[in-house]
Amino acid sequence: MTTFDVELVDIVKEFESRGSTVRAVDRVSVEIADGEFFALLGPSGCGKTTTLRLIAGFEQPTSGRVLIRGRAMEGIPAYHRPVNTVFQDYALFPHLTVEQNIMFGLQMEGVDKKAARKRANEALEQVRLPGVGARKPHQLSGGQQQRVALARALVKQPAVLLLDEPLGALDLKLRKNMQFELKALQRDVGITFIYVTHDQEEAITMADRIAVMNEGLMLQVGTPKEIYEHPETHFVADFIGETNFIPGMLLERSGDGYGRVKLANGPVIRAQLSHALGSAARAVTVAIRPERIGIAAASASLDSDEDGLTVLEAVLAGSQYIGTDTRYRLALGEGVELVARLQNVSNRDSAAYEVGQPVKVYWGESSATVLDQ
Amino acid sequence: MLINEGAMRRNRTVRRLGQVGLWLNPLVAYFFLWAPILVLVLFSFNSSRSVASFTGFTLKWYGNILNNVMGAESAFSTELMLNAFRNSLFVGSIATAISTVLGTMIALAMARGKFPGKGLIDGLLFLPVVIPEITQAISLAIFFKVVFDWFALISGERVFPGFHTIIAAHVTFNISYVAIVARARLADMNPRLEEAANDLGANPWRAFWRVTFPLILPGVISGALLAFTLSLDDFVITFFTSGVGTTTLPVFVYGLLKLTVTPEVNAVSTIMMVLSTLLIGISLAIQGRSASRV
Repeated sequence: MTTFDVELVDIVKEFESRGSTVRAVDRVSVEIADGEFFALLGPSGCGKTTTLRLIAGFEQPTSGRVLIRGRAMEGIPAYHRPVNTVFQDYALFPHLTVEQNIMFGLQMEGVDKKAARKRANEALEQVRLPGVGARKPHQLSGGQQQRVALARALVKQPAVLLLDEPLGALDLKLRKNMQFELKALQRDVGITFIYVTHDQEEAITMADRIAVMNEGLMLQVGTPKEIYEHPETHFVADFIGETNFIPGMLLERSGDGYGRVKLANGPVIRAQLSHALGSAARAVTVAIRPERIGIAAASASLDSDEDGLTVLEAVLAGSQYIGTDTRYRLALGEGVELVARLQNVSNRDSAAYEVGQPVKVYWGESSATVLDQ
Repeated sequence: MLINEGAMRRNRTVRRLGQVGLWLNPLVAYFFLWAPILVLVLFSFNSSRSVASFTGFTLKWYGNILNNVMGAESAFSTELMLNAFRNSLFVGSIATAISTVLGTMIALAMARGKFPGKGLIDGLLFLPVVIPEITQAISLAIFFKVVFDWFALISGERVFPGFHTIIAAHVTFNISYVAIVARARLADMNPRLEEAANDLGANPWRAFWRVTFPLILPGVISGALLAFTLSLDDFVITFFTSGVGTTTLPVFVYGLLKLTVTPEVNAVSTIMMVLSTLLIGISLAIQGRSASRV
């Protein structure tokens, strides 16, 4: 007996395209818990939608197994799987009314018309769209259609709800509102959500766990915090948020998960080693988030050994005011540059340092992660 | 600067000439297209029997064809004409029914299926639309003869051409038209809709009848109307594949022409044209109105 709602075991999906084989999903294994909000995040063409379609049953894996509630899904067609999908373009039936759209799935189960109509209207209230049952989908706005698509899938009370970039077609403000609503809805109904998106912010704000995908591979699975703070690969660090990358050579590994790295511009620093770092890696990359970098006057006395602080000399190469923050470009020499982002707490902050001025930059050792090159 | 001004003036003249030409072009084209038909319709209402001049408006010829009168000397048989019309409707209905079902199935296979040689079959679908009608007519006539000869050889039973051959022949060219129209409709349809139906628990059979079919129905209907019109209007293929007692309306009109061109022939032709135009108009209206809703 398993406690997982969805299990993917070593899934491979290959497509034939003009004589050559393209591997859309590459040895993906993951376990998704009951009631979890799970995001599949990655750029377009990374295999996230194909993964979703494999769970839905629209595609069959080339090899590997899909299990839903412990039951192997091999040979089980989409219409017999306990999952429902919210499509990117909603795929509402244009010839049916909103109510008929939502009743469709219930009628396929053999629910009688009266009961189906009642449940359809309850579902409409659940997505906060009462009273539009008699309308045709094309008479609704994009946001309303999105809610109808959600109601149509939820009314089936599936074990798992699959969402394929459901907010992709909405404008920014509506998208933000829907993010909150979707999250609240998921908590209310307690259904497992598998949510495909290319928007890292969406994934971070909504998901319990995120799987970052690229080129068919599932690179890292973890909570938003783990993914953001401890990216295990160059790609994940780059794809989620903004990151500084400094090339370097790994000199030694200490037992506490840290190592000493000689940066390309000269200085040797201590930084946290990524779990995924190859055991023989020598040439590495050090990743630091811009908001973790502090700037101080060149004359400030900062002790690098104290509190695990890393302090480096730099020259301010440029600054950019971006409203809430100011972005500073810092030249460390030898062509190595860092971006630091400081919040504009008071009016003076944005003009605190002059371009061309020598400064000190510093960060906590745990903020720098050593990744494979 | 003088040279420039001259060049500019010349340019302006050329441009104006071009504009006039552009305006004239469709007029001339439409004249060629419509003038013969206009003459036919006009003289079906001409009070004089001669086509030399239009002497006044009359509905006499339309009356004549319903009252067994035709020409100065020969008696026109309204009964024969109505019989031919009935034959046309019979052939048209059966051929349309068969070709609509087959054509829609081909369209579905082409739009959704994946099988080797699809491209070739796709291309072959257009063949009946582009090959000369006379070629198709002769090939069908020969084909039927060969088949019937073989059948006679095997069973000793002789089969003669009749409604069955005409209907079979009409189905062969109608299938293409239905398939092409239905396929255009399927191509416009979001394939996710079928997946959505599957996702909501509909097996392929129910998904087809509840989602796909209602959505392509306008295409199927307009394809059927087109097929029916083509069937109703067809002369060449019908002529080559008909037997005894299977005269359709176009074949009947051709028979009248062998005697002489009379205003009654004009009247019958005008009625046929109006009927066909009406059917095609309905077909186009269905396609146009529903195109925006998929």
